[in-house]
Amino acid sequence: MSTAAAEQIPGRAEGDGIAARARGLTKAYGSGETAVLALDSVDVDIARGRFTAVMGPSGSGKSTLMHCLAGLDTVSAGQVWLGDTEITGLKDRELTRLRRDRIGFMFQSFNLIPTLNAAENITLPMDIAGQKPDQKWLDQVIDTLGLRERLKHRPAQLSGGQQQRVACARALASRPELIFADEPTGNLDSRAGLEVLGFLREAVDGLGQTVVMVTHDPGAAAHSDLVLFLADGRIVDEMERPSAEAVLERMKRFDTARVTFDGGRGTPGGAAPEDGGDPTEGVRGADGTAPVAAVDDTAHGGSGDTAPGGSGDVTLDKD
Amino acid sequence: MLKATLRSFLAHKGRLLLSALAIVLSVAFVAGSLIFSDTVTRTFDRLFASTAADVTVEPKNDLKSQLPTGATETVPASLADRLAKVDGVAATHVDASVENAPVVDSANKSVGPTTGAPTIVTNWELTERSPVKLTSGHEPHGGDEALLDADTADKKHLGIGDTLTVQAQPGSFRVRIVGIATFTTTNPGAALVFLDTPTAQTKLLGRPGLATSISVDAAKGVGDARLKQRVQAELGTGAYEVKTAEEQAKSSAESLGGFLDVIKYVMLGFAGIAVLVGIFLIVNTFSMLIAQRTRELGLLRALGADRRQVRRSVLTEALLLGLVGSTLGLAAGIGLAVGLIKLMTAFGMNLKSTEMVIGWGTPVAAYVVGVGVTYVAAYLPARRAAAVSPMAALSDAEVAGVGRPLRVRAVVGGVVGAAGAAALAGCAASTKTSTAASLLGLGVVLTLIATVIAGPLLVRPVIRVLGGAFPALFGPVGRMSQRNALRNPRRTGATAAALMVGLALVGGMSVASASMSKSFDQQIDKTLGADFVLQNANFVPFSHEVTEKVRATEGVGLVVRQRFTPVAVKLPDGKRMETTAAAYDPKLDDVAHITYARGDTAAALGEGRIAMDVKFADDHDVRVGSTIPVEFPAGRTTELTVGALTDQGGGGFGTQGGLVFGFGTIEKYVPGGQDSALYVNAAPGTSPEKLRPRLEKTLEPYPQVQVRDQADYKKLVHDQIAVLLYLVYALLGLAIVIAVLGVVNTLALSVVERTREIGLLRAIGLGRRQLRRMIRLESVVIAVFGAVLGLALGIVWGVCVQQVLALQGMKALAVPWTTIVAVVIGSAVVGIVAALLPALRASRMNVLAAIAHE
Repeated sequence: MSTAAAEQIPGRAEGDGIAARARGLTKAYGSGETAVLALDSVDVDIARGRFTAVMGPSGSGKSTLMHCLAGLDTVSAGQVWLGDTEITGLKDRELTRLRRDRIGFMFQSFNLIPTLNAAENITLPMDIAGQKPDQKWLDQVIDTLGLRERLKHRPAQLSGGQQQRVACARALASRPELIFADEPTGNLDSRAGLEVLGFLREAVDGLGQTVVMVTHDPGAAAHSDLVLFLADGRIVDEMERPSAEAVLERMKRFDTARVTFDGGRGTPGGAAPEDGGDPTEGVRGADGTAPVAAVDDTAHGGSGDTAPGGSGDVTLDKD
Repeated sequence: MLKATLRSFLAHKGRLLLSALAIVLSVAFVAGSLIFSDTVTRTFDRLFASTAADVTVEPKNDLKSQLPTGATETVPASLADRLAKVDGVAATHVDASVENAPVVDSANKSVGPTTGAPTIVTNWELTERSPVKLTSGHEPHGGDEALLDADTADKKHLGIGDTLTVQAQPGSFRVRIVGIATFTTTNPGAALVFLDTPTAQTKLLGRPGLATSISVDAAKGVGDARLKQRVQAELGTGAYEVKTAEEQAKSSAESLGGFLDVIKYVMLGFAGIAVLVGIFLIVNTFSMLIAQRTRELGLLRALGADRRQVRRSVLTEALLLGLVGSTLGLAAGIGLAVGLIKLMTAFGMNLKSTEMVIGWGTPVAAYVVGVGVTYVAAYLPARRAAAVSPMAALSDAEVAGVGRPLRVRAVVGGVVGAAGAAALAGCAASTKTSTAASLLGLGVVLTLIATVIAGPLLVRPVIRVLGGAFPALFGPVGRMSQRNALRNPRRTGATAAALMVGLALVGGMSVASASMSKSFDQQIDKTLGADFVLQNANFVPFSHEVTEKVRATEGVGLVVRQRFTPVAVKLPDGKRMETTAAAYDPKLDDVAHITYARGDTAAALGEGRIAMDVKFADDHDVRVGSTIPVEFPAGRTTELTVGALTDQGGGGFGTQGGLVFGFGTIEKYVPGGQDSALYVNAAPGTSPEKLRPRLEKTLEPYPQVQVRDQADYKKLVHDQIAVLLYLVYALLGLAIVIAVLGVVNTLALSVVERTREIGLLRAIGLGRRQLRRMIRLESVVIAVFGAVLGLALGIVWGVCVQQVLALQGMKALAVPWTTIVAVVIGSAVVGIVAALLPALRASRMNVLAAIAHE
């Protein structure tokens, strides 16, 4: 069970159900009068063994939330736990080890080290840690993702979809407590995107992993068990067992709702953070000006930056 | 377009900094050496011009000596009176001045400068041209009074009342310091001792009535040139050399010039290295800047800028960089010159940095070098920039140039390399020194060019081997650093090339010098049979009373004297050759092992006989029995018959032709010469170990003469060769500094390029220390690659140099492996040092910002 747990008492995660938890998580950029709140006292629990999507318009703070939960970014106030470990206040070295050993990452693009082949990329976090990968698990992951034939290929020899599958395999390989995927389909065509989402789904259902995915694509969010909607640095809604249509509807409503919402609540700090406040979304721009069109566009899977070739085609052969 | 260029220049100023530093260094060395030599030349020109007499009459000397003979040529002092009567002469002065008389204080310590500048003992005759004035005490009168110059008195803590011993050629004598003379002009670094004129004549030159030269003052209104004509008319042509003040100053400046030239060439050597290595740095920086700006350049092209404009934009940037670098370099060069002048002052040469001369040539040279080098170095990258297609603006290519094939380089490098290898092979096979030397030069240049061109091709195979153990040793960090070094072979190759050039030079020189040392060792073992060699530093001869006292020392058996003289020989093939000949006492065989092709020592050193190297003889149609006309200094001539031909494997005594004759000949034709070396054997019944302390005791009053046995003699030779090596190491130091700048540059730019990759690595759990280690290892592998390539090339060069030296008799080959291994290890350290800043920068990167980096 996963929820925007505003009503729960802050404290340690209880039992086995919670993979990560945040209480009063606040992230401000800048200081004083010009401070912009990217996250405004967010309380959230990420349920173990489920696929959670975080949605929201550009600048809503969804990537910041992910970065803070993953120990990539520092928080301005509040606490974050990964399992039983409070990660707020950890030193860089401890955070680095935590990311290495307990979290898996998938980014929108530039997920792989170009000098390493697929197999080396997959085992990289464990290699860095000096641990031996669990070969049985690794084989299962590789076979699940259909990468057996591609292991000796360098990233440049793989298509965009294949690259994301390798990234997915890397995230899964060390059997982390939590996998964060930041717009994993953002750079893929719809077919490759669907494939990757299928694998993330499979990771949760078949392999029992916990996945948190940041996206602004309702179609992608529809693959999750639970969608958390973020706006202006707060969790404003959630949706269990979402469908693409429902999410899209919610997003549409949500945009007009935001106006009334803002008017009604009088959010401190005013409007949404600037684009710059959320670096991974900087290029997406156009905050709030044409949300519907933007959602439509991404819903159809044409994000503009289409990766060359489909999932099965190896087109770039440089060596 | 100019605006865009300026913007770009300013935007990249951080990245251009290191290139600018390389330019600054090379320009500084060029400017510094020019300013320094201009200043010194001007200072001494003034000194010589102000101290030269209107007309000087000297003994004629056509033969320039390569080695000091110790003989002092004289003119009759009576010429002064004769010339005083010549029309237009206001006054004449007798000069009695020698530079070959060491002066020691009462503790037998030399008062002469330790820098190689002469100790001049001369007669005190104060004229308006004297460079000194009496500042305390009184003028010297009589045989036991002397003045000392103030600088020397200061340095050696001497004053009025102290005694000095002057070891003049006719014999040592003691004098008391009665006054101190202070330089009114620049002190060129010499020590000066003044005696009254009769004392100087008798005790320095052997008898009254002699002079080393006559100074003639012109009467009012008589020009130097006219006076010279009149003096010449009076004296007739032949025995005397008559010079005007201008000519005298010029020849003085020339004799000093040799020393200054050395400094100048050393400085220019540094400038050359700085320029050479700097070029690599600049090429690399511009290449990388352009690779990074491919999209921007593509956009410019898409917006309508044509190729020429793009090229010009890059070249303008280079021009600006060159101008800035040259200006800073010029300033640094002035600083360097001030430093050198200070250094010279510490050596006793009183130059004033306030009188520094910056001729117009200096800024011109500075800007030509600085701007020219930058422009040339940026030309290729500029062409590449112009070739960027407008499509580049649209594509998402990572870095241009990574995947471009190296085929052209392979072909050009292969061809040039083959030509270079052929030249080196030809050099090794050649039997003529001149051919071998020119083939060597050609081969060195060609192989260097080939290695620079083909460097990127060697990156993959060599670094695969060098970094092969990295994955096993350092895990994924090692694997990534090795692959990063392989990532852009062009860049790795160019970066390593800077280090390679310097180390190739060092490798070659160290092999050559080690081979020379070994050859000399072998030769000393083979030829030196004496128990001891008594010698001055730098072959400067010593007074013959040393010889007498050594002979009189208890336990001394045989003493064989060695003396040198300049000679000119007329050879049967019609050539006249000026060289230096050596003379020995007859029992040479007891102190040296000489191999003769024809004849023996008795035939070589007999009266009226001469011997020479067999190869030289063959080259000039000389046979045993040939009669050779020989000219000695001061116009003495004779004919000598070839009695023997030596075969020392070309080694001989280091003089051309290896001319040798008996001691009687040199005493007859070069009277007043001094011995350059004594070969001493212990008397029967006395062991050399016992003799040594006795000899040392005998030589106590002559601190400049040293006793050396075979081992000492070898050490002396090694030390002399080591001086050459120190210079090479200094050059290496500079080359390394600049090469480090290059590695820093490359790594810094690579770190920027790989920002996202670094962000990703950090996100998935690479620690800061691991990241720093990754960059350090990459740096080490690049540096060691450069070192290995350079040393390999250098060893090949060194072996070829040895082949050339072998023709001169230095047949031993030695490769100093310890030095080579030390240099490789050193290069790894260089890599670590170079990686410090880039690694720190990478590890400080904000993970999120790095991931989001475009």
